Amino acid sequence: MRVCVFRRPQPVGGFLRLAILIVIAVSGGIFGQGPDTLPTPAELKKMSLEELMDINVTLVSKRPQRLTEAASSIQVITQDDIKRFGVFTLPEALRLATNLQVAQVDARQWAISARGQNSTLSNKLLVMIDGRSIYTPLYAGVFWDVRNVILDNVERIEVISGPGGTLWGANAVNGVINIVTKGAEFSQGGLIGGAVGSAMQGVVGVRSGGKFARDGYYRVWGRWMDHKSSELIDGSDGRNPWDMLQGGFQTDWMPNSGERVTVSGNGYKSDLDRDLPAPITAEGQNILARWTRDYPDLSGFQVQAYVDRSMRVILNSFREDLSIYDIDLHSHLELGTRNALVCGVGYRLMQDEVVNSSSLAFLPADKTLNLYSGFLQDDVTLIRDWLVLTLGTKVEHNDYSGFEWMPSGRLSLTPDDHHTIWASVSRAVRSPSRIDVDFYAPAPPVPATTPQLQGGPDFKSEKLTAVELGFRARPAENLTLSIATFYDWYDDLRVLETPVDSTHYVFDNGKVGEVEGVEISSGCQVLAWWQLKAGYTFLKERFWDKPGHAEVASAGSQGNDPDHQFLIQSMMDLPKGFTLNGAVRYVSSLPHPRVPEYLTFDLSSSWQFHAVTVTVVAHDLAEENHPEFASGTRQHQVPRSISGRVGWRF
Amino acid sequence: MASARILALTLFLMLFGSVPGRAAAGAGKAPDREHRVKAVFLFNFAQFVQWPDSAFAQPDSPLVVGILGDDPFDAYVDEVVRGEKVNQRPIVVKRFKRVEDAKVCHVLFVSDSEMPRVESVLSSLKSRPVLTVGESDALYRNGGMVCFVTEAGRIRLKINLEAVQNASLAISSKLLRLADVANPSKD
Repeated sequence: MRVCVFRRPQPVGGFLRLAILIVIAVSGGIFGQGPDTLPTPAELKKMSLEELMDINVTLVSKRPQRLTEAASSIQVITQDDIKRFGVFTLPEALRLATNLQVAQVDARQWAISARGQNSTLSNKLLVMIDGRSIYTPLYAGVFWDVRNVILDNVERIEVISGPGGTLWGANAVNGVINIVTKGAEFSQGGLIGGAVGSAMQGVVGVRSGGKFARDGYYRVWGRWMDHKSSELIDGSDGRNPWDMLQGGFQTDWMPNSGERVTVSGNGYKSDLDRDLPAPITAEGQNILARWTRDYPDLSGFQVQAYVDRSMRVILNSFREDLSIYDIDLHSHLELGTRNALVCGVGYRLMQDEVVNSSSLAFLPADKTLNLYSGFLQDDVTLIRDWLVLTLGTKVEHNDYSGFEWMPSGRLSLTPDDHHTIWASVSRAVRSPSRIDVDFYAPAPPVPATTPQLQGGPDFKSEKLTAVELGFRARPAENLTLSIATFYDWYDDLRVLETPVDSTHYVFDNGKVGEVEGVEISSGCQVLAWWQLKAGYTFLKERFWDKPGHAEVASAGSQGNDPDHQFLIQSMMDLPKGFTLNGAVRYVSSLPHPRVPEYLTFDLSSSWQFHAVTVTVVAHDLAEENHPEFASGTRQHQVPRSISGRVGWRF
Repeated sequence: MASARILALTLFLMLFGSVPGRAAAGAGKAPDREHRVKAVFLFNFAQFVQWPDSAFAQPDSPLVVGILGDDPFDAYVDEVVRGEKVNQRPIVVKRFKRVEDAKVCHVLFVSDSEMPRVESVLSSLKSRPVLTVGESDALYRNGGMVCFVTEAGRIRLKINLEAVQNASLAISSKLLRLADVANPSKD
């Protein structure tokens, strides 16, 4: 695959040029500074609390996972961001990371991707909630409408754009979203909250946390949410209101220092598209157990197992029952002073049972899929506190395409605490899912003359080779800057085509593509009480058919992404417990199907009075309505909305 | 030309492993980054916490940051607070061996060396306007007010709001929002 990169030397040449420029730009600092890198007391005192909390106080080589993140394009959405901007659903929270493409399709559907190729069926993003993968093997994407997380329980959301296959495996092609919820010890006491708004009928939630034994903590919670319909672009009612009831628990037991046993469970039941002729009902339950042990010598391990069940019924046309059983073992250790090793093995069993109808079918209807995986990654400290090389690979075996390798190499240069330059080369794959191979529409048998959409019996994995180069800096004590540039080369992308001697449409690996882009993010603590954040993403995509392949004209939706998008956020702490927050968001037009560019802004304010917090949030204030994505025949739009929310802690 | 040297060095390292000379230079005694950052937090607490007037003998009495037991900061806390004032009050650092002497403090860092007797340390400070700070779960579980937790290489704060309020202290919402607020003793 690597040869493919060099087949188009021009962008790579641009990369080297940029690399040299960046190196020149920071080389003054490199030669002036020793390995001891923490700012002086005077500098530390000028930092905000947030910035102090963001300093990595362990030495760089201590935590292998952190290092991989340091040498990648990562943005973190904190609990503070979530609170300030008063968001209720996971996709809304993900809008706060500008290294993602996030578009609301209608009241319940979202198109979310990183580094392009966005659609409602995006299949190159890995999303995990506390280490539990939430993508479905049905189409290798996420049903965002039911994968809701109670954001009050979230500690942070890490959004990594770019391939993460070496650690996270197939599907971590264009990015990884890692949702980390709080330990139960951090959600003690009670919380009751509720909200009403112009786009939602209402939300009511309750949470309670307490202790058990001497070192055990728990929380239990429940939430009911009812969302109104979205409007079509002609102004008519989309008739797609939805509601969801969900609940769950988590226990954390810490019998010894460095040891933690977590058991958590969640359940939901949802009615979607309620007023349409084919409403959807969905429900799911999952339970997870994890045991982690860290030792003072920086080694440690983690054992995790979970069961995730979900059911989805579209009235009169489709039903899926999916059960996933997963077990994973991770361990990390230091070998001498130079090598920090992470490794792991895992097994996942997926039992997928569908009930077909005449309009569409997965054949065979019931399928059991096995996924075996193992990975090994080594951080080699070439020069202490200065230069680290990370090499690793994951190897997986799946029932469709057999063995898959996902190696990567990263180099991270940290001349001082204020600057990091990193570069990487990685390979990632999107392994086949049921829709690629087992799908038929309409369901067989069909008359010979009726065209039928069919899965590709020989469908292989889609492959990515990515080169990334990034730079992270703190040019002033109250200012951070991160730039990531990338060049992606895709091969064997999915096309829908009509083979010679056939009247049918069949999936095959018939496309290649290249994507280049830049992701910039910056944060500035202007004053002790005023923080600014800004992010910008540029994307340039090109896809074309491989020799001997021709995509059906109507199917082409690869690269339906904005060239430019930016987000500027302002967060102010005012006297008497008030906050005032604002955001401006711009997304340039989508080419096919066309959606115009939009610029909009959000405002929110909260007031904390003892144990009570009142928040008022206004979203998308610029226009009465704007569409964000076109999918299918009915195009919806996103309305201006306002909501109010009250929370009481006790 | 610096860049060319770096590129050459990088290539060399990728191909041949390592350069011993530079690595040896960096292998001296590693400074304790964690406690240097925590020292700055102690200074910040003086600004984000309000003490009742009764906690000070005079309007211009100093604000006392105490360290009880073994001092993990060396002289770093002194360096951080040197010349600093909070509400016209100078900040001074004092070190204590016995909790009986530490009651004059406003912020008291209870060192891990005191954990075997943490219950008696905390009970003798009970209801006094002293912000107790530590880095051990034992302190927190027994009613300590602020606990440093290092997770994924970052320092986080756990605050026991009930204990803070019982001591007639007020913590700014700015600090509270960034901390994990809990009532660990609540059953």
